[in-house]
Amino acid sequence: MNTDVPTTPGASSGSLLRRTGWRLERRLEVKPWHEVVTLVGAFIVGLAICSILIAASDKSVVDSYRALFDGAFGSRRAVYETLVQATPLIFTGLAAAFAFRARVWNIGGEGQFFAGAMGAFFVSDLWHAHLPRGVMVPVLFIAAAAAGALWASIAGLLKARYDTNEIITTVMLNFIILLILSYLLGDLWRSPDTFYFQTVTLPESAHLPLMIDGSRLHWGFGIAVAVAVVVHVVLRRTALGYEVRGVGINRTAGSYKGISVPRVTVLVMAISGALAGLAGAAEFSGIHHRLQLDISNNFGFVGIIIALIGRLHPAGVVVSAIAFGALVNGAVTMQIQTGIPAALVDVIQGLSLIFVLTGAVAVRYRLQRTRSDE
Amino acid sequence: MNGDGADSVLLRARGVTKRFPGVVANDDITLEVHRARVHCLLGENGAGKSTLADLFYGVHEPDEGAIELRGEPIHMVSPRDAIAAGIGMVRQHFELVTPMSVLENVVIGTRGEAKVDLRAARGRLGELCDLYGVEVDLDTPVGDLAVGQQQWVEILKALYLGCEVLILDEPTAVLTPEGIERLFATLRRMASEGLTIVLITHKLHEVMEISDDVTVLRRGRVVRTSLTSEVTMADLTRMMVGRDVDLAIDVVEAPRGDLVLDVSGLDVATESGRGSLKQVSLQVHEREILGIAGVSGNGQDALFDVLVGMKPADAGRILVDAKDIAELSPAGRLEIGIASVPADRIHQGLMMDFRISENLILGRQRSDRFGRRGWLNQKGIGEFADDSFAAFDIAAPSPAHVTRVLSGGNLQKIVMARELAGQPRLLVVHQPTRGLDIGATEYVRRRLVEERDQGAAILLISEDLDELLNLSSRIAVMFDGRIVGEVDRRDATVDRIGMWMAGVSGAPGEALA
Repeated sequence: MNTDVPTTPGASSGSLLRRTGWRLERRLEVKPWHEVVTLVGAFIVGLAICSILIAASDKSVVDSYRALFDGAFGSRRAVYETLVQATPLIFTGLAAAFAFRARVWNIGGEGQFFAGAMGAFFVSDLWHAHLPRGVMVPVLFIAAAAAGALWASIAGLLKARYDTNEIITTVMLNFIILLILSYLLGDLWRSPDTFYFQTVTLPESAHLPLMIDGSRLHWGFGIAVAVAVVVHVVLRRTALGYEVRGVGINRTAGSYKGISVPRVTVLVMAISGALAGLAGAAEFSGIHHRLQLDISNNFGFVGIIIALIGRLHPAGVVVSAIAFGALVNGAVTMQIQTGIPAALVDVIQGLSLIFVLTGAVAVRYRLQRTRSDE
Repeated sequence: MNGDGADSVLLRARGVTKRFPGVVANDDITLEVHRARVHCLLGENGAGKSTLADLFYGVHEPDEGAIELRGEPIHMVSPRDAIAAGIGMVRQHFELVTPMSVLENVVIGTRGEAKVDLRAARGRLGELCDLYGVEVDLDTPVGDLAVGQQQWVEILKALYLGCEVLILDEPTAVLTPEGIERLFATLRRMASEGLTIVLITHKLHEVMEISDDVTVLRRGRVVRTSLTSEVTMADLTRMMVGRDVDLAIDVVEAPRGDLVLDVSGLDVATESGRGSLKQVSLQVHEREILGIAGVSGNGQDALFDVLVGMKPADAGRILVDAKDIAELSPAGRLEIGIASVPADRIHQGLMMDFRISENLILGRQRSDRFGRRGWLNQKGIGEFADDSFAAFDIAAPSPAHVTRVLSGGNLQKIVMARELAGQPRLLVVHQPTRGLDIGATEYVRRRLVEERDQGAAILLISEDLDELLNLSSRIAVMFDGRIVGEVDRRDATVDRIGMWMAGVSGAPGEALA
């Protein structure tokens, strides 16, 4: 035996031979309750970590969270306001979830929200004097969906045709639509009687009716929940939904069995854009009744978080959108009562997302003790 | 050094079994690798070679049995343990940091030192290069090197980390003939310097050229370990493709019917140039199975893809029932009765996260049977699933379960149930029994024969010669993208086909010298 061979450090150490450890094994099947546990667990861990922040600033954790809860659900009024906050998030959450189910990464919910709001304003401005409310409101919703779909389709077509990365194009389209809107608000659409970048406030014929009189809760919430049901039915019961899920699971097998991936991609992008566009219509016609640059509180982007936390399931989206609505709403009360900045809610949101995402991966595995060799 | 004494055994697998969802990748494998020798693991794709290598390298742990090093069982949780024990491996996919230099890539794997002494490392690497005759510029960024050169960096990494056993997984796949020659010369030199080499390959002539010992694997089991000097290429072919006499299906052939598939002068280019098709012509009739034999990578994938519509043909014609199908999409081809069973059922054939019932209708979700105006017909789908479960004896808790839970045999039954449902006119089947156990294999083969008897034209692409000899009416052999020979089953012998498969030329249809 030639001894020139480089010898191995530690090769003869016996400790290595008798080591036990833990090993991750992939679970074959992830059951629904695993998902629910992940979701709830993530929220709790997020809140728990934030309680360290609260304690560090010498505030009472219990009082703070009680104020947060009171603000969100403490009264009838608080609940309505929570649902108002949740409404656009349900739409944008569904938009992201639908696209992500097909592994089409639409990050342009924000821009499609604005496209929808602009479409809604455009037809309302044009026809509110001529159409009764019962016609005007459906028309403006349809216009919003169409505008959102159209705007998203740009990215969809580029992806289908040239395999352009849709993450980049949708983000770019966000900037472009905002710049178009600011141009319009400064010029064509600017209200003559104001100094601000905003349109005229439209009269009642273009207003979405209220669900509860005396609150801000408009029918947009009801529509959002109904749309969530529709999205679920489309995904589960239609050939299109089958193909959307299929493309998301395994494009290769899909194309071998005749599913046209480019066609599905364009459709998914358009439908996703339409859903985000509906959020724009709901905010425009349910809350603001005019266009201005700050009608979105990052709804398009938060929708992505909502979709991921909701595990891309319409029911999960509705639940997590309401939870986020509650956080946003309750944070105001918390800030007033305890002086803790409402920005803490962003931290809770961010942490919850991180834990849901890690949880979603972790839940696919189980820990198994490896045997030791004696 | 004669390789016989127990002392010379460096690495041993003792009764090793490794299962993955759906397959037994390694089934009770026992083999011994002797010190300072080149030991080849030979087998078809899916025979379990790479899994065995991963077990030696600590990537996986055996479910049963043990890996022994220097006569002692060694328990490895990760490659880190393997490296510490003196086992190195060059995997098929390199693990290199491309912007960094060769030297940096080599030292990046060293652990436990806060500061890396690059000067010393350079000196040590230089010695290794001299010792084994490796020529690589240590300061070139790895990304600038050709793939063949990058492989040398991987080899250097393993050597630098002090391996005594070097495992190479299909190292010649990325090399030119000259590169292979150089690699083999170096490996020989390493062995003569005392290093032990384990080389994984499915190429017979490489085994003959380089190895001292060879272990043939087939379907996750060891067929035999021999001294290379004591076997011939024909022996190895036979061991590789198997002789499962008990799997023979009693085939009574009906006379073939009309011509269904008529392919002529087909050219299909591939990006890399590997596995392209060159002037392929073949015909399949009703009630006939045409077998396509060949070592993988000789154009079978392209042939399958071009027939099902996943790849366009660059030249030539594909006629089905005398109609040109070049313009038909995969969906259009399904519609005219071309069914297909792909080689990689998990990636090409199934949606693993779909329900089983959903997979059973993949491709026909818009047909009248399973839907109406865009809606899925849940009742129709459910009934079809129940029928399929009964007809194909699918072992699963229920059609509503996620497909992922099934075993390999049952996955293939789902694909078969789906593809055979519409009474296909033409069935293109690629490696239908790869990775399946004996029972499922027999079942799948029987179904193919039944389908033929019902009138289908079947093109069976397989690397399993036994399967081809059992099922086919005629066998054509592909080598380097061409059909290099075709024989009637009655005249076919393993030796004859094996020679064609190995690229030993002989004009089509001509007996071999």
